[in-house]
Amino acid sequence: MSEEGISAGTSTTLDSHEGLGPSATPVTSGTLAPSADGSSLPGASLLGSSVVSDVEAVSPRAALWSQTIRVGLALLGALVLFAVLMAAKGVNPLVAYADMARSTFGDTTSLGGILVRATPIVLASLAVAVPARAGLINVGGEGQLIMGGVAAMGVSLGLDGSVSPPLTLVLMALASMVVGGLWSGLAALLRLWVGISESVTTLLLNYIAFDLLAFLIFDRWKDRQGSGQPATRALGEGERLARLGGSRVHLGIVIAVVATVVIYAVFKATSLGFRLRVVGGNPEAARRSGLRVGALLVTAMIIGGALAGLGGFTQLAGAEFKLRGSFIVGYGYIAFLGSWLARHQPIGVLASCLLLSGIAIGGDSLQLDAGLPAASVHVLSALLLLGVFGFARKRGVVT
Amino acid sequence: MSMVAEVLTGGVRGGTSILYAALGETVSERAGVVNLGTEGSILAGALTGYAVAAETGSPWLGVLAGAVAGGLLALVHAYMVLERGANQLATGLVVLFLGLGLTSLFGVSYVQALAPTFSPAAIPGLSDIPFVGGILFNQDPLVYLSYGFVPVASWFIFRSRWGVLLRAAGERSEVLTAHGHPVKRVQYLAVVAGGMLAGIGGVHLSTAYTKAWFENMAQGRGFVAVAVVMFAARRPYRVAGGAYLFGAALALSPALQARGYAINQFALDAVPYVVTLLVLIAFGRRRSQDIPEGLSKVFDASPSG
Repeated sequence: MSEEGISAGTSTTLDSHEGLGPSATPVTSGTLAPSADGSSLPGASLLGSSVVSDVEAVSPRAALWSQTIRVGLALLGALVLFAVLMAAKGVNPLVAYADMARSTFGDTTSLGGILVRATPIVLASLAVAVPARAGLINVGGEGQLIMGGVAAMGVSLGLDGSVSPPLTLVLMALASMVVGGLWSGLAALLRLWVGISESVTTLLLNYIAFDLLAFLIFDRWKDRQGSGQPATRALGEGERLARLGGSRVHLGIVIAVVATVVIYAVFKATSLGFRLRVVGGNPEAARRSGLRVGALLVTAMIIGGALAGLGGFTQLAGAEFKLRGSFIVGYGYIAFLGSWLARHQPIGVLASCLLLSGIAIGGDSLQLDAGLPAASVHVLSALLLLGVFGFARKRGVVT
Repeated sequence: MSMVAEVLTGGVRGGTSILYAALGETVSERAGVVNLGTEGSILAGALTGYAVAAETGSPWLGVLAGAVAGGLLALVHAYMVLERGANQLATGLVVLFLGLGLTSLFGVSYVQALAPTFSPAAIPGLSDIPFVGGILFNQDPLVYLSYGFVPVASWFIFRSRWGVLLRAAGERSEVLTAHGHPVKRVQYLAVVAGGMLAGIGGVHLSTAYTKAWFENMAQGRGFVAVAVVMFAARRPYRVAGGAYLFGAALALSPALQARGYAINQFALDAVPYVVTLLVLIAFGRRRSQDIPEGLSKVFDASPSG
């Protein structure tokens, strides 16, 4: 910075500075007390959504309804816009939506498909929500999912049936959490020691994780007896997660729901949840009141990475059974958006991930029935999120 | 060609799309707005540029169209962040998804299409300079254009009156307001200009680098551009260095393979990202004194312990 003149008059405060979402005064009163409904996240106000708890302050139930109605309106708007785009591409949107609805909600098999798809996404979404509570932005769900799957597969390959299958399964789960946690913990440490934003490092780590996966399936762990497609060998029968009632749905969804409830309880009722919230709300106050801010930030990030790693394990042991190139395709990014959609509230995360998974499944039907690429459906998710971020809330109370 | 020359030549070639995107992100961040949607703007530019080149037969029209497409996507980001108070990082990722989805939807008919492309054209005289000439002056026209953008961006940011407004918008917007300047308009222009540059980067990617369009072809270049801007402390010349470093890391893999080194290709694929991360670690500290005030609010929502 060489020019003078910029720094003149630093104390001028004009309220017209609404250009940047992030507000200059991070603390709202009452940040230090856990809010009655546990629904507002102080960290979010820091990160740019200037809405604090103007909506929720009314009553939890009314707030939930108003939020649901707003998301519904945003979804409607997104569906209309996407219909226009499909029409522009020469696809009859009504037919396409009918196909999507049939393949998504048509029968129990397709509903099961949503649960299977949502399992790793929910866990990776919690991996965004926990660090967010402490004010951190984890965009690394994709890489953490992959590393979790890689770790679990590594345990299976390394033990190679030398211990009993149930024990192997437990060790796989533990390894996935440890490695996922290390992968995200690395970003947290870089944040603390070197001062680089975790949002950028976690993104870069995603690509490194994918290249590691590619290296393993094309080279080190490649199943030489397998068909042409590069992949590892499949997990043994005993090393797979049990299926629920003969459907494709596996135990992973139970793990994801339990994890959601546990995180909800941690946020609401434990001292760790409270401390994370204080750090996310007002780090300076947290420091002055004697909290070990650095340790808490790393803890939040490691918990997040461990959850996403577990998601990689469930995907491997419940759905994929082997590592291949398309083991995880964008689930981590969908999870990121799911957490933001729910404003990092655990129960809401579960709901928004189910919704986004349903849309993603619908995308597969677009490919099959309408001949549009599956990725087209990202337009629908993106429009929905833009609607919710920008229009489904009261215009922010700029703090 | 020696291997060093080959890697450096490839570095300039492969780094150019990053360079455009990172220069755009530099302008945007100087105004206080981070745009992770840069990745989406690259995709939008890559498809639009390729499609327009294919339809009109003119790659230069493709460049114009690609810039417009990248700018339009950035406009969505600007509107959400500046008018609706949405979170910058999350919105950027949503904008990326929008770009990814739109380019998949409309790009499917151009996957196998042929289009006129940019090819290297040696500059007489300059390309005869030993070593450097072959690296810098035997490239395609969009690379030459990017050479011009770097000093122009530097002059614009640090020496021009507009640059003062730009930086004031990112640093001390209240001062700008007090002097009667429209902060928001400056920020809008900066973000959209940034998206246009990223769009041109995308056009280079599809019409000069790969000479093809395929879904999600940016492969994280937009994110790398954001990282480059960060460790380059938002200074155009350093941004150029960072972009070429990434490009060189990309060029390493084919150069080694051409010489028969049995290094796993996928391990090499990770090299550019690892290098970016390492450079970020090495130079990350510096950003603290140089980060625009408005941006620090985005990145430092909580402090380091």
